[in-house]
Amino acid sequence: MKIWVFAEKESALTELCGGARQLGDRVEAVVIGTQDQQGVNGADKVWSIPTQEGAMLEDYTETLASLVNQEKPELLLVAPTKRGKLIAGRLAAMIGASVITDVMELTQGGETKRMVYGGAAIRSEKAATATAIAMVGPGVLAVSPEAATSQGEVETVDFVEPKMKLKLIGKEQKPKVSVDLASAKRVVGVGRGIAQAEDIAMARQLAEVIGGEVGCSRPIAEGEKWMPKECYIGVSGLMLAPEVYFALGISGQVQHMVGVNRSKVVIAINKDKNAPIFKQADYGLVADLYKVLPALIEQLK
Amino acid sequence: MNIITCFKVVPEEDIIITSNGDLSFERAKMTISNYDLNSIEAGTQLIEANSGTLMGLSVGGLKIDDSKLKKNVLSRGPESLYIVADDNLDNMDTHQTSLALKAAIEKIGAYDLVLCGEGSADLYAQQVGVQLGQLLNVPTINSISKITEVDGKVIVERTLEAEVETIELTLPAVVSVTSDINLPRIASMKQILAAGKKPSTVWTANDVNLAKPANSIEVLETKAPKQVDRKQEIIEGDSEEAIKQFIAKISGELK
Repeated sequence: MKIWVFAEKESALTELCGGARQLGDRVEAVVIGTQDQQGVNGADKVWSIPTQEGAMLEDYTETLASLVNQEKPELLLVAPTKRGKLIAGRLAAMIGASVITDVMELTQGGETKRMVYGGAAIRSEKAATATAIAMVGPGVLAVSPEAATSQGEVETVDFVEPKMKLKLIGKEQKPKVSVDLASAKRVVGVGRGIAQAEDIAMARQLAEVIGGEVGCSRPIAEGEKWMPKECYIGVSGLMLAPEVYFALGISGQVQHMVGVNRSKVVIAINKDKNAPIFKQADYGLVADLYKVLPALIEQLK
Repeated sequence: MNIITCFKVVPEEDIIITSNGDLSFERAKMTISNYDLNSIEAGTQLIEANSGTLMGLSVGGLKIDDSKLKKNVLSRGPESLYIVADDNLDNMDTHQTSLALKAAIEKIGAYDLVLCGEGSADLYAQQVGVQLGQLLNVPTINSISKITEVDGKVIVERTLEAEVETIELTLPAVVSVTSDINLPRIASMKQILAAGKKPSTVWTANDVNLAKPANSIEVLETKAPKQVDRKQEIIEGDSEEAIKQFIAKISGELK
């Protein structure tokens, strides 16, 4: 099987090359600009599209489509960034395919698994088109140890001028979010049981005492905007696997729980004893957060 | 500005998982996909701030032609609604959905802006908006967290993983908005009553000259993930004793 890889970042490209090696016998990478040997280690061939001045990555979609049409790889792996989703989608429309996004598992036969219905189910599917397009994130594919040594030929291709270009008039870096929830060993999650933004301070105190970070459910980040979107745990946000997940006022809906059900231990406090969280917790306390949390923090110190 | 806002009709969250891990939708009512409430609201706000018309559009099986659903959409701002309801259009993949929306939009006629949500609440592929734009052969962009109309052009703010871009779009264009672009309104009684009087058009696939496109994805299986076994040691109450017992249980895990 011939597999192509495309990614915004070199690190993702290298990882996809290494993963592709496990699935197919030939790995080819599409890169913008002269290829940096370091960056695309692991590809048997590199297709290099010359950098165009002032072009956005999106402006290379036509060139990518013309290459795919010409070379017909059986599988195209794309890193699942927002920009990647746009490029892959436009490319799919050009070649009459679909894109299987946010793939959790990918087999040699091209079968994919992804989460559907807000995490309530896992769907196995397979592309029915000549070229399958799958978006695969970090850590999904095992990386072959030989990947880092193989190096191949480079072919420069002609740039295909897009009919329509996006006009970028400004660009700003987002402020860095200092929490690193993905690597935190202990995570405190706050949900709807918190009455106001100020009360997140209690969760922070608990996190400090147990040596963890604070995340939240979607309504806290998106509805209330009490915490940055980067802290939101669940189906379209962070997927975590901490040693301990401490749920405060989290009801336990599947959309949130898929983001933490790989935790080793789940501890929950919620005043509703029928909240689904208690069926998914190792230890639970049915009580008013505001009554028990101060005492709990004091005693855990 | 003529705006078409696309929405998907999806099963509500009460999906039942049967003993063998299959999903049952028998009891699940159909509703507007959560993420599309944001694109409907974005359209309504644009019309309120400037002027123009807002139309709702959905494609799917016959069950999407539901009076309560139609009223729900129309109470949120659109002044008319188009639905392509046909059992040939049930359970489509993103490519098929985009083709069906394209056929409907071409039947509707002139438009300046098509709005889509970030993804669908059921399958969340985040693909239909971008594929649709390409099929319509107009500029298309995703992850848009702000839209402003200036002199017949549209300026959008695009929130990516690490950066925020400002992009000028020439119209017509297809824009997919983020789920935090706005807080969708809750319709008032007056708006709900008025919605009943707004026009909606229901078409079949034939009416929009659409032959069902071939599947581009083959679905092999949809199963509930295995539940993780948890100890479920639950203590009730906020007494000192209850807190003490709770701490006794969790302190071992927090060492």
